[in-house]
Amino acid sequence: MDLALTDDQREILAAIDALTRPYAAANLHGAGFALTSGALDAELAEGGFLDVMAMGLGEVTAALVVERLARLPYAVEAQAAALVRPALDAAMPCGVCLVEEGMLHRPVRYLTAGVTVIVVGDVVRSFAAGPEHIRDAGDEVLFAYPMAYLTGLPGAMQTHAIGADEVRRLWRVGLAAESAGLLAGALASTVAHVSERKQFSRPLATFQALRHRLAEAQVLTNGCYWLALKAAASGDAGDAALAALYAQDAARRAVYDLHQFLGAMGMTLEHPLHLWTYRLKALSSELGGRGENALAAADAIWG
Amino acid sequence: MDNQGHAMDFAWDDAQLAFRESLTGFLAAHLPQDWEAFSQAGPASAALTEYARGFCGALAGEGLLFPHWPTEAGGKGLGPWEQQSLAEVMWAAGEPRGGQYMNVNWIGPTLLRYGSTAQQARYLPPITEGKALWCQGFSEPGSGSDLASLRTSAVREGDTYRVNGQKIWTSYAGLADTCFLLTRTSEDKKRGITILLVPMDTPGITVRQIPSLIGAGDIHEVFFDDVIVPAGQRLGEEGQAWEIVGFSLTNERLGIPRFHLARAALDRGVAMLQARDAFAREAVRIEAARCAGLCEAARNASYAIIQTRVEGGKVGSEASSARYATVMAERAVCEFVAEFLPEALAGASPYLMMHHQRGIVAGIAAGAAEIQLNIIASDVLGLPREPR
Ligand SMILES: Cc1cc2nc3c(=O)[nH]c(=O)nc-3n(C[C@H](O)[C@H](O)[C@H](O)COP(=O)(O)OP(=O)(O)OC[C@H]3O[C@@H](n4cnc5c(N)ncnc54)[C@H](O)[C@@H]3O)c2cc1C
Repeated sequence: MDLALTDDQREILAAIDALTRPYAAANLHGAGFALTSGALDAELAEGGFLDVMAMGLGEVTAALVVERLARLPYAVEAQAAALVRPALDAAMPCGVCLVEEGMLHRPVRYLTAGVTVIVVGDVVRSFAAGPEHIRDAGDEVLFAYPMAYLTGLPGAMQTHAIGADEVRRLWRVGLAAESAGLLAGALASTVAHVSERKQFSRPLATFQALRHRLAEAQVLTNGCYWLALKAAASGDAGDAALAALYAQDAARRAVYDLHQFLGAMGMTLEHPLHLWTYRLKALSSELGGRGENALAAADAIWG
Repeated sequence: MDNQGHAMDFAWDDAQLAFRESLTGFLAAHLPQDWEAFSQAGPASAALTEYARGFCGALAGEGLLFPHWPTEAGGKGLGPWEQQSLAEVMWAAGEPRGGQYMNVNWIGPTLLRYGSTAQQARYLPPITEGKALWCQGFSEPGSGSDLASLRTSAVREGDTYRVNGQKIWTSYAGLADTCFLLTRTSEDKKRGITILLVPMDTPGITVRQIPSLIGAGDIHEVFFDDVIVPAGQRLGEEGQAWEIVGFSLTNERLGIPRFHLARAALDRGVAMLQARDAFAREAVRIEAARCAGLCEAARNASYAIIQTRVEGGKVGSEASSARYATVMAERAVCEFVAEFLPEALAGASPYLMMHHQRGIVAGIAAGAAEIQLNIIASDVLGLPREPR
């Protein structure tokens, strides 16, 4: 039993913090529902932060990177790049997105021309997305990820040796790690607001009705973080499914409260809260949502 | 960046596993055949209290009663992970140490730190031999969460204190030999509280058992009518109680590892359902998985706190987060059993019944759930405090 971060992990997280400091506050000017930065993506790829698994630093390190980056208001594709891609093909470039076969009605996170689409069904296949595979969702997307639709799957795809269940396991670990970071970002943003905003001559944060629900959100965020790391460390399918289930459950409980406590301010695009919460909402349906993740966990744990 | 061998690991290492196996092996060798039904009466029952004397004596014989105490005090100087393993294995087995777990967890260590030579000579041997039973006289009818408002008075009269007042919810009081008693010696809210170590057979003490949902003999009222206690029975100085209790609780911040019993109960419940082919329904499977997630979240949040202790760090308010996670887990498992295995709470499973009776207490005893939330809000999230 050893839950301490390694020196490498501490250094990597410190380096991420240093690199992302300019991005810690969102520049919301002209941003839509999602906020992205090509410069940030490039800096992260260049720094090798999405290659920690390929460098032999392990799944826990990759999960830590995913969690930390998700705390930023900027949407950064780290989940698939840091955790799934290296297990398929270490040489695959960073731009990747994940889709479940048979689920093409769903919008796909980070789908854009040039990325590698990883299709997870009975087997794992991939293809390079060209403009012909993509239908732009325009301004219709409420989620805080760049998203688009796949028009279909090409006839020829590369088949990977890795099992589909192993990819789903890694996806679940990534989903849980990203959710933990998103919850932490959303919670910090809400804590800052209610500590400042006064009503009835008191900061909102001094009302116990809010304090307790915020404290519960902290408990859920912390649980999500540790379950994600546990799942990354153990490599166990049941742990991964439990972590994903817990993450989606936690998001469901916390997101409503956090928006509630911002009042009308949280309904505006002037405040960044949605940049975290509307990513959590997008993740809530992945891999079948809570029910399917629960069933996967039950199968793995009790048969 | 290169890897240095050591990596985050959520599994017990070989030595830790061997220690856990020595505990489960001890249980297998010592617990009676009918233990499960027997233990359902609760750790405070007369039968279990009597049984625990033999059991703890045998544990002591194997060096397993207080292995986490320093070697100078006769322990093995084992670390926080071993202390956790001891607590988990015993609690999940239905706590065959009865109320004696308190002795080794905090009463003994507190006496070692603050007790006079005479007090140590008198009270430590019965603890280390597995014979003592203490009770904790903290709560009063008017002082639960707001413990520092307690009013049981101790008035100095020469070499003695005259104690008057009432304690309530006192576990084990009916059979305990000594009370770790909090009394008021001055009006200063926190610095007016003083600890007295009081033999329960002192004249003027009356104990009345309170029938309860959690098992026979657990909670009591204790009345103190002109009880005379020699000043030599005071632990520490007058007014030092708040500091001493703070020390006592540093090792107990996480409380009982309830998530471990909750998970064991969940697995038992699932096994019962499987045995009658009732675990195929998705509604049941989904709820079981939700419970497992809550148990494991509480477990890992708690382990993160223990890691801090291993590294010599000070455990503070984050422990409240793990505590609250544990309350959520207990509640979910109790509800799971009530919803899908009602027969378990009506005689079909002594183990699940025992769990349910203990589990419903999680959010109340030793720092209620909302108090944990208050601590998280102020000290973990750093929110401005509520007006008082
Ligand atoms: C099984 C069991 C065994 C026990 N054994 C012992 C023992 O051996 N010795 C002993 O001294 N005591 C013992 N206790 C008592 C225990 O310590 C108290 O129950 C506990 O401190 C809570 O106090 P209370 O029950 O008076 O609840 P109260 O303090 O009345 O609380 C009731 C509710 O109000 C909430 N509340 C209180 N204050 C606040 C606040 N500021 N903000 C928001 N909500 C608040 C609480 O969270 C709780 O939900 C035992 C209790 C149980 C259930």
